[in-house]
Amino acid sequence: MRMKIEPDQDRERVLRLAADCEPTSLRLSPTEGYLLSRIDGQLTWDALRKMGALPADAVDACIAEWLKESIIEFADGADGEKRKPSGAPANEQKAETKTTSQSDTTDGKKQSVEATRVISSGAIEDLPEIDESLDLSVEQQQEFLDFAKGLGRPYHEILGTPMDAEARAIKKAYFQLSKRFHPDRYFRRNTGAFSDLIEVCFKRLLEAYELLSDPVTRAQVQKAQPVEDTKAKAGTKKPLSAAAARRRLRERVGQFSGHKRQLQDQKRKAKSFFESGMTSFREERWLEAAGSVRLAIAFDPDNTAYRESFGDVQRRAHEERSAVLLKQANGAFEMRHLSEAYELFNDAVHYRPFDAELAHRTATLAWTVGEDLKRAKELARQAVDLEPESAEFHGTLGQIFVEAEMIANARREFEAVLRIDPKDKDAKAALRRL
Amino acid sequence: MSRVIGIDLGTTNSCVAILENGQPAVIPNSGGYKTTPSTFAITQDGKRLVGHLAKRQAVTNSTGTVYAAKRLIGRRFDSPEVARSVELSPFDIVEGPNEDARIEIGGKTFTCPEVSAFILREMRRVAEEYLGEPVQEAVITVPAYFNDAQRQCTKDAGKIAGLEVLRIINEPTSAAMAYSLNRTEDEKVAIYDLGGGTFDISILEMSDGVIEVLATAGNTFLGGEDFDRRIVSHLVDAFQASDGFDLTSDAMALQRLKDAAEKAKCDLSQRETVEVNLPFIASDDDGPRHLSAELTRATLEGLVNDIVEGTLKTVDQCIQDAGVSVDGIDQVILVGGQSRMPRVQQAVAEYFGKRPHKGVNPDEVVAIGAAIQGEALVSEDENLLLLDVTPLSLGIATFGGHFAKLIERNTTVPVCKSHTFTTTRENQSAVKIRVLQGESDIAQENDLLGEFVLGGIRPARKGEPEIEVSFDIDANGIVSVAARDTATGKEQSITVNATGTLSDDEIQQIIEEQELFEVALKE
Repeated sequence: MRMKIEPDQDRERVLRLAADCEPTSLRLSPTEGYLLSRIDGQLTWDALRKMGALPADAVDACIAEWLKESIIEFADGADGEKRKPSGAPANEQKAETKTTSQSDTTDGKKQSVEATRVISSGAIEDLPEIDESLDLSVEQQQEFLDFAKGLGRPYHEILGTPMDAEARAIKKAYFQLSKRFHPDRYFRRNTGAFSDLIEVCFKRLLEAYELLSDPVTRAQVQKAQPVEDTKAKAGTKKPLSAAAARRRLRERVGQFSGHKRQLQDQKRKAKSFFESGMTSFREERWLEAAGSVRLAIAFDPDNTAYRESFGDVQRRAHEERSAVLLKQANGAFEMRHLSEAYELFNDAVHYRPFDAELAHRTATLAWTVGEDLKRAKELARQAVDLEPESAEFHGTLGQIFVEAEMIANARREFEAVLRIDPKDKDAKAALRRL
Repeated sequence: MSRVIGIDLGTTNSCVAILENGQPAVIPNSGGYKTTPSTFAITQDGKRLVGHLAKRQAVTNSTGTVYAAKRLIGRRFDSPEVARSVELSPFDIVEGPNEDARIEIGGKTFTCPEVSAFILREMRRVAEEYLGEPVQEAVITVPAYFNDAQRQCTKDAGKIAGLEVLRIINEPTSAAMAYSLNRTEDEKVAIYDLGGGTFDISILEMSDGVIEVLATAGNTFLGGEDFDRRIVSHLVDAFQASDGFDLTSDAMALQRLKDAAEKAKCDLSQRETVEVNLPFIASDDDGPRHLSAELTRATLEGLVNDIVEGTLKTVDQCIQDAGVSVDGIDQVILVGGQSRMPRVQQAVAEYFGKRPHKGVNPDEVVAIGAAIQGEALVSEDENLLLLDVTPLSLGIATFGGHFAKLIERNTTVPVCKSHTFTTTRENQSAVKIRVLQGESDIAQENDLLGEFVLGGIRPARKGEPEIEVSFDIDANGIVSVAARDTATGKEQSITVNATGTLSDDEIQQIIEEQELFEVALKE
């Protein structure tokens, strides 16, 4: 069995529609639909890429996605699921642009209290058996089990204090119980399955203490808990929340249908932007193409095809943009408008991160014109990383280090220069000065 | 069973202690001193020296002598703290391959954990000679404000020195443990710890053998060394004025000045005036020049007054965090050599309205506390329990680059906390959970401990999905984070491994290298 998936090998394989696939039920753009229509059990992945209706990246993305969703499969074997091509848009990639946000903070405390309860009670569902081989007496084990069974009780009962206990008494109870339940007490002892139980008990104890020793949370807890304690009253609470739930559901449905229309509208806009982007792309107007595709993504951020093709469009757009910038920069440089040239070169570096010569040139300008030593250091290091065998680049980085008073690093760079070119006079002189 | 030692790995001096029959004992080194300079050196002929031997030759070998490595440990090379050290240290500090700061002496580059390991190994040797048996386990103390990386690096240093580090505990907490031994009253105590390189203030409550940390604050880059530095620049300026010589470019002169300043500072705690005499400090065509200056206690106090006042602001913040009033503090305990200075004692006494406790030795109390915690862990003694806390807040990055704290600093561990979050975009299918540690509300300004993605969220309007994020710190301080989509029950989690600046492989490599060197020494 092959351990590693080779995209190139998968691309030699023939694709077909999955047996249970119903193409008309899918929501596809015309181009995607076209691509799907060409998957006929005859053409290989690679052949599909070369059709030219979509950029190769977009073809890969679609195929990977469809393989994942079992819309299509490899004709020569049913292992499509296992052999996910490496071009598959991994979840992480999609998620990169997304962030989380804190929900309503006003009732945040309560949410967190409830959530913890779920965890605590969930963790003690299966209690360990008493085990005489452990470094815990049977009585101690029984004590832990008894305490663990009572973890769902109201907080003051866990601490064994009255509802209206003073802060002092709560602290005292917590300290005393800590002496029995803190995991450090059983450090290095063989406590087997009880070690998790002890930790859960202590965490619950700590939670009880924290909530009851702060007057604000204590009031919240005591308002919430009687309902939970007295089973008789539980009935009165339920219909209320159910009604509220129904009301909320209605609201949501109302919002949703309006939202759905809006969404379709946006998707239409996105598609037209994407299509005009593709037209510009074919006509080699890269900057325009990138702009259009960017707009398409803005209107329909979840469309992977748009995202995937953006990479290719952007690369070409960057080439065009950097060519323009470099021309302007060189012009400004010849006119001795140095600080303008520096700004332009600095922008161009952004679009040509692979260009060592450019990084080096910009580094020199950053140092001499921009007086930005940090940026100069960054760029010079970039140049050295790209072309480690250039004595000139090492020398520049060394001089920048000298300027930044990072003497040991400077020395290292000049030594690198001499390793590459043992006759370099400047480096020798610089080393002597150091 | 072998004994557990407590080591106070200080910026300038280190100390080792054990518990013998329930009573603490500080172990003197072979020279009879109870503290050992945290100094490491390589001599011109390649010999490696630690402690007093290293410190004594510093004047003639300033570029080959490392001190205050603790200020660099676990820090990134590009951090402002390291930049300050580069400026001030006579030895070379370079950037390591892991973006860490490394020390270059004697033609070899050492990582900071490695340098600390030389000191720890020496402390271990001191204990072994005293006990007449091998020592393998230790509790080591760090400043309360050390972050995860700094703590892990200290642990790594212990490992390189051949020690199993049972716990890393905070210096002020350790001091409180030592103080609490044999005391039965319920008390709230403030520990004011001004050491060679760090300042910490902690408020603790003790009752019936249980010690709870209420709050901690501090500054990992402020201490006695800053006092020395003020004296040095005062002397340099005076010499410039009287003799027209700039001594700052002469490494050997600076090292002599530094030693003299430290000595003068200590002497001024006992006396009102000291003479600083440094003959032949410089020379020119007219012959040798001598530095001779008189320093009074009042001058010194004027030089460092702002530093002392600055520490009180931190004390203020800590007292607020602890939720107590200044009157509610029953005892004030001074820790760290610099707290011997009369001006410091007076400032603290004025602030708290009571005289500091005199019953502990500020140089030894931290190591003693570490030994007590070591013993409390391995013995079955039920009479001492430390409810330790997490030093920095933990949480996740949220929309707009904010930092949502789930576990606030100074929370007792082990602990578990959770909070519900939601999506920010329509039909968002995945959320990225970025786990951060720090105190800033801006996500970027905190340390990133790890990240993961929870995918497969059902398409819904923004703000509707409920993502429950829970943080768990276990008894050994290991943090795990889980995110669960409450609608589908889908869950993703990670365990955040504290990472120092060295990988396990690198540590192993260093251990092997040092073993080779040990063999070479004996031949």
